Amino acid sequence: MSTVVAARRASGWKDTITALPWIAPTLLLIAAVVIYPTILMFQTAFVKYTPQGVERGPAGFANFNGPAGAFTFPTVPWPAIWTNTVVWVVVVVLATLVCSLALAQFLNKDFPGRKLLRLVVILPWACSVVMTTTVFNYGLQADVGVFNRLFVDTGILQAAQGFTKNPATSFWVAVFVAVYVSIPFTTYTILAGLQSVPGDVIEAAHMDGANVIQRYWSIVFPMLRPAIAAAMLINIINVFNSLPILKILNEAPGYHTAHTTTTLIFEYKVKLGPGVASALSIVNFGFCLLIIAIYLAVVKPTKEVQ
Amino acid sequence: MSLSRRAFVGLAAASVAGAGLAACSSPAAAPATTGTSSSAAAPAGQLPATTIKILAPSYADSSKADWDKIIAEFNKKQPNVKVELQIEAWETFSEKVQQRIQAKDYPDILNDNAFAAQASAGLLYPIDEVMSAATLASIEPALMKNGVGTDGKTWAAPDIASARMMAYNTDLFAKAGITAAPKTWAELEDAAKKIAAQGAAGYGMPLGKEEAQVESSLWLWGAGGDWASGGKLVANQPATVEAFTEMKKLIDAKAVQADAGASNRQQVADLFDNGKLGMYVSHSGLMGNTRKKFPNIKFDLAPIPSKDGKPVAFGVTDFILAFNNKDANRKEATKQFLDLMYSDAMYEGWYKGTGLLPVTKSQIEKAKASDKDNAKFYEALSFVKFNPVSDPKWDALKGALQSTAGTISKDAPDAVVKAIQAQLDAAG
Repeated sequence: MSTVVAARRASGWKDTITALPWIAPTLLLIAAVVIYPTILMFQTAFVKYTPQGVERGPAGFANFNGPAGAFTFPTVPWPAIWTNTVVWVVVVVLATLVCSLALAQFLNKDFPGRKLLRLVVILPWACSVVMTTTVFNYGLQADVGVFNRLFVDTGILQAAQGFTKNPATSFWVAVFVAVYVSIPFTTYTILAGLQSVPGDVIEAAHMDGANVIQRYWSIVFPMLRPAIAAAMLINIINVFNSLPILKILNEAPGYHTAHTTTTLIFEYKVKLGPGVASALSIVNFGFCLLIIAIYLAVVKPTKEVQ
Repeated sequence: MSLSRRAFVGLAAASVAGAGLAACSSPAAAPATTGTSSSAAAPAGQLPATTIKILAPSYADSSKADWDKIIAEFNKKQPNVKVELQIEAWETFSEKVQQRIQAKDYPDILNDNAFAAQASAGLLYPIDEVMSAATLASIEPALMKNGVGTDGKTWAAPDIASARMMAYNTDLFAKAGITAAPKTWAELEDAAKKIAAQGAAGYGMPLGKEEAQVESSLWLWGAGGDWASGGKLVANQPATVEAFTEMKKLIDAKAVQADAGASNRQQVADLFDNGKLGMYVSHSGLMGNTRKKFPNIKFDLAPIPSKDGKPVAFGVTDFILAFNNKDANRKEATKQFLDLMYSDAMYEGWYKGTGLLPVTKSQIEKAKASDKDNAKFYEALSFVKFNPVSDPKWDALKGALQSTAGTISKDAPDAVVKAIQAQLDAAG
């Protein structure tokens, strides 16, 4: 019995060694672009830097809780920042999902001009996020923005608003733009899922007297789970780490109430140097892992993906 | 086959030896040639192939071309030295400088508005090591002393100066029935409200991340205060609270442009250029642009109002800093480049491109006599005050002001001042 296990283990080792030439480039790439930066992040977090980035010896935990530490620097509105971070991920990902489910359902119907419409939906995805966000930023300027002009001319607003200048509004503008740029990818993933729902099953349900809502929730939606799971997982990570949208649409300076932990890292990098920024990055990294762990535990998407 | 290869190797070795010999002999010949005719581009005075890097902000659209002219002239004398020029916008300039320092890719020549942090980190050459005595002597001493660090050494040389004064739109003033430029805060408030009642913004107050430190200083000085107090920089003092209270009064009265806390200088200038702003604190570069591109905007200049009417003007010098890259050739090339840059022939075109004021004695004389447009700015140079840029803590105070001064639009002035002080203390 034990010899069989030993033999199997030996052959396992042999297999690994045989496979090594083929997987080595991937392993090297992972080491270079994933593992090395992570190690560097941990190292940097324990080194003291001047704000200009000149090294000044070991820092211990001063970058975390010293006088200018990531969590102890005065005037940073932490409650707002934690709330924002959670709201940002949850709202953007869920709103994207709801919009995309509806849009995918629509695009799955056969109608004239469907090809063209599908192409149009893909456009925000094909454009650079920075470009799209900058267009929104210009449009929302109080004095020259076309969106402001539209709102005022149609009577929705009394006077033009500086949406991007005020943390209270700029955060929600950023949420809107983040949903806008996330929809194409999500829609296409769900659309691909819809193609795999067999027509005869739906027909059979129809024959059995299931109405539209029952057909969707009992047949189509469960079959979409793998597609939704994949799309949401990617969206969570993307949205959590998204910097350009929040950064471009937030024109108020300093430690305001529209920061998420990700944008705060960059504020720290400029004002307090790379050590403090790395300290917050570690926590951000952990927070991201936690959100994904919760998602995996609650939704168990891997069952379907596998 | 093998024979011919050996012959080739031998030949190559001989030619390398020859080149080495030539290289060895040139330094010996150098003093003789340069001694007899300094202007002739004698190959003996040429530096070996090396690269010097320049990082500079964009003062105007022509900034790159202005530097390129000096570089082209420099390369006539030093064809082996490659000059790499990087131009970046002011708004993100300190981030770019930071990136270069973090990457340990120090520019040999940096044109910036601060130097104390780099000097105290030991990254710079004292400026007299990279400029000849003649060049140093050509710079106006009153401006030169801005480059002296707290340790008494000169770490930076000014390259342009600018005075800030209040520009006001005379048409809007006439329309609002205001006859003279305001001198006191009370008059300023009154004028700003009258203009705001006409539909334009009264006073332009850029408290965004670019200029908050300038605007705050002006109001602090207007209240009779100063950042430096008892040998260190202090934000939380009665004069700052008084200044911020007055600023908030204007914001609350809607006498300033919308979203003051998130506006940069350029956005305020754009409003002025389009006739939508009564007055703002401006410099010669911005006014030159208004004169050239917006001829229907009629304006005049006045000292900046203060609490009691004593005129305030704000002075800025930007600096040349030379980073120590521990390379003798780069240092020598840097020195020759800077000496060339400050020569009248090169400097006149370069400083004019920035639209700001010169720093060399000869150019100041020349400009005072001929530059009628900026006559008031030259006059103001005699009573300008400067921010305490030589203090290593200034960067922390500047950062705190840029982050937080804008929040007076919604928070109480004393709370804002306390927050700024807390950030200053923590970042120490």
